[in-house]
Amino acid sequence: MRAAGSVAARLGEVLPRSRTLEGAAARQWAARTGAEVVLFPESSAEVVAIAHAAAETGCSLMPAGCGSWLAAGGWGREARAVVSMSRMDGVAHYEPADMTLTAGAGVRMHALADRLGANGQCFPADGPGCDRGTLGAVVACGVSGPLQGRYGRVRDNVLGLEVVTGDGRLLRIGGRVVKNVAGYDMVRLFTGSRGSLGVITRVSVRLFPLPLADVTLCFRGGSAADAVAMARAAATGAFPVAAVEVAGGGMVLVVRLLGGSEEVEEARARVTQCLGTPSGEVLRDGESAALHRQRIGWEGGRAVVARLKALPARLGRTMECAERVAALLGNAGSGAWERRVAADALCGLVRVKGDCPPSRVDAVAECLASARDEMEAGGGSLTLSEAPRDLAARVGWTGAGGGEGELAERIKALFDPDSVFVPERP
Amino acid sequence: MIPRALTRSLAAICGTDGVIVDPERLLVYESDALTAYRHRPGAVVLPSTTGELQRSVEAVSRHGLSIVPRGAGTGLSGGAVPLGGAVVIGTARMNRIFEIDAPNRRAVLQPGVINAELSAAAACHGLYYAPDPSSQTACTIGGNVAENSGGPHCLKYGVTSRYVTGLKVVLADGSLVQLGGSGREAPGYDLVGLFVGSEGCFGIAAEIEVALLTVPEGVRTLLGIFDRIEDSGRAVSDIVSAGLLPAAMEIIDGPTIRAVEDSVFAAGYPTDAEAALVIEFDGLEAGLDEDAARAADLCRRAGAREVRRAKDEEERLALWKGRKKAFGAMGRIAPDLLVQDATVPRTALPSILKGISEIARRYELVVANVFHAGDGNLHPNILFDRRIREDLERVEEASKEIMRLCVDSGGTITGEHGVGLDKKHHMRLIYGPGELDAMWGLRRVFDPAGAMNPGKVLPDETDPSLARAGRATARAPA
Repeated sequence: MRAAGSVAARLGEVLPRSRTLEGAAARQWAARTGAEVVLFPESSAEVVAIAHAAAETGCSLMPAGCGSWLAAGGWGREARAVVSMSRMDGVAHYEPADMTLTAGAGVRMHALADRLGANGQCFPADGPGCDRGTLGAVVACGVSGPLQGRYGRVRDNVLGLEVVTGDGRLLRIGGRVVKNVAGYDMVRLFTGSRGSLGVITRVSVRLFPLPLADVTLCFRGGSAADAVAMARAAATGAFPVAAVEVAGGGMVLVVRLLGGSEEVEEARARVTQCLGTPSGEVLRDGESAALHRQRIGWEGGRAVVARLKALPARLGRTMECAERVAALLGNAGSGAWERRVAADALCGLVRVKGDCPPSRVDAVAECLASARDEMEAGGGSLTLSEAPRDLAARVGWTGAGGGEGELAERIKALFDPDSVFVPERP
Repeated sequence: MIPRALTRSLAAICGTDGVIVDPERLLVYESDALTAYRHRPGAVVLPSTTGELQRSVEAVSRHGLSIVPRGAGTGLSGGAVPLGGAVVIGTARMNRIFEIDAPNRRAVLQPGVINAELSAAAACHGLYYAPDPSSQTACTIGGNVAENSGGPHCLKYGVTSRYVTGLKVVLADGSLVQLGGSGREAPGYDLVGLFVGSEGCFGIAAEIEVALLTVPEGVRTLLGIFDRIEDSGRAVSDIVSAGLLPAAMEIIDGPTIRAVEDSVFAAGYPTDAEAALVIEFDGLEAGLDEDAARAADLCRRAGAREVRRAKDEEERLALWKGRKKAFGAMGRIAPDLLVQDATVPRTALPSILKGISEIARRYELVVANVFHAGDGNLHPNILFDRRIREDLERVEEASKEIMRLCVDSGGTITGEHGVGLDKKHHMRLIYGPGELDAMWGLRRVFDPAGAMNPGKVLPDETDPSLARAGRATARAPA
């Protein structure tokens, strides 16, 4: 492998100097990746040239959007060069009546929300940090939020992609129509592949009408067990709920209802009746949406974030596991929404966040490992989405796979034979 | 015929009644519901358990023969046709539902369970399985997984891929691999998503976990009658643009209406109409009337001369009858039917429908359209007589032109039936050499020896292992 300087220089040659960052500026932009150079291509052809140059020089590449998740850890991955899609942010095709949109991967989620909102439409991705990122990053990470029960997961709403693979191939997969079974479903494969197979340069998605009514019911107080029981009742009742969440500490149960105004009013009455307790607070429309936007940023900037997942009916057990981890993590702020545990009752996912001072690494690692054992024994999983390097090295970002490993390795080798892109798991 | 030693091995695994080699009994397995393609299988094997399936696959592979998985044989793309004397592995006996897990709204089952039977089994819990292909009383969930099947109600609820949460699959070497599972966040790639819709080329799903939904409390069904088919297409677009999300929107065109009304399936549609639009809303009772009234109004504004509304379940079934029995009725007026399955952007519907009727006129063919309009998923059916040679040639030419028209509008060659044998030559209309190479590569990831369902999905001449020169350059999608 050549010296670091020449790698940056060789990659830098691909783009004008005005669209590259090197040295300290690169390290600042792509904080925790250790990148020597950050590249801002403006076309797919430039991305192809970058992939070729990276392969020739043996330089590792990491795709990024506007870099907001890199700063937050990006799964602790390191690369010598980062390729940012932030300048490829044009909307290529948007016909509101088709309810589909095709845009450059770098389009910002908030800009997209504004543009779609003007036509009464939305792309309902609500995974952690989604609102600050780019469309391409949301698709590449493929993490879905509490609204997945109503709208489906991110992967259910991606129709087509343009990608540049590790060996510099430009592929256009899927399409821009809502039903398409032509050939193998590479769109699902690249969605959630975290930039390990290639760079997503363009995305086509399915859109939804903005709901006419948006109501959030907040129930406060009670024990963790009470909140979990109520959440399960709300999640399995004979009424449509868009999201059911529990936050730890003060034990707040939040039920979100979306739809037509008559439908939402009826559902509100039934939720209240089902839970046998009047709702403490009713947030409507703007207020309801604002609360959930705030929830999207819940994990923001914490040193440790773990995701515990099991079947929804096991929510109580999952919550207990999570509380044990939470008890060991340092102060994660105060206020009902800033507590350390948050549960999505519809899909049985509990997230824990906090800090991990160096003195506690051993204890936290031990606790996470035993929580993972317990989750896996019940068919579930514990995954770290943020962690200091030493902690991640001790615990592992993910637990055991179910035998997909060998297939995954062959798929990686198919699209990225020289391992230009950093692997999905470090 | 397959080697005798293999027949003996398979009989030892599945029992003598689980292996079919008698030529007369093999007839049934020559084709799927697209009967234009017929090939005699070397044998048919009917395992009952995952273990039997694994050992059968391994035995066939060891003899160097290829394998064609088969559900109920209701596919419409020739996907289950055994080319070159391949061994058919049928899942008919793998028809157990292991678990209806109501608290978690999911079910775990074998691939041979019939789609409608899963919903019937879940009904006592107030749950059902959402994807509803028109063949749902016969087709299997395993077949649905292989084809990523859709159905009328996928407009609101999405296709099979959305509901399959975990799979245990048997690969060509007989190994069993667990993919995904709703109880955990599986590390790595979405291999469940990749496997669904792989048309039997990657492996055979031995155990399937699916998500179930709560049966909707109320339903409203409308039937709009139009004098011009373009108007019905515009009504569909207008309803979606208005922010309404019907569960289903289906168009039945004039020729189909007349075929249905002339048959025993007569549904009471006016025979002088050029289009009937079935619209259905479901969900909580509250708000349904308002949605239905808005949709009815939009139909009238788009030019509907009449909008009917079902007052009870009996009337609802009557409104749906013309749609559900369309294919059966067409069989009466022509011996052969070429079913197409292109999807186009919804806003292109009016111009595409007009384009299709122009093509039909030019080739002097009867084209009957019955389709999932809300999704833009067209089924232009060309009626013809296979015994007349000139007919066949005109049908092929017209079919190609219709396909190109749909692709040029930003559409795709198949929305729900799959590529199979029938549409593999159209793959180059939408994918270039790079995309096809990548698909060949993925196929080899799962099936290095190329034993699973060979000759399907990908054009033979694009197989990189053939390394043929002079490959045609196809147009990449927009």
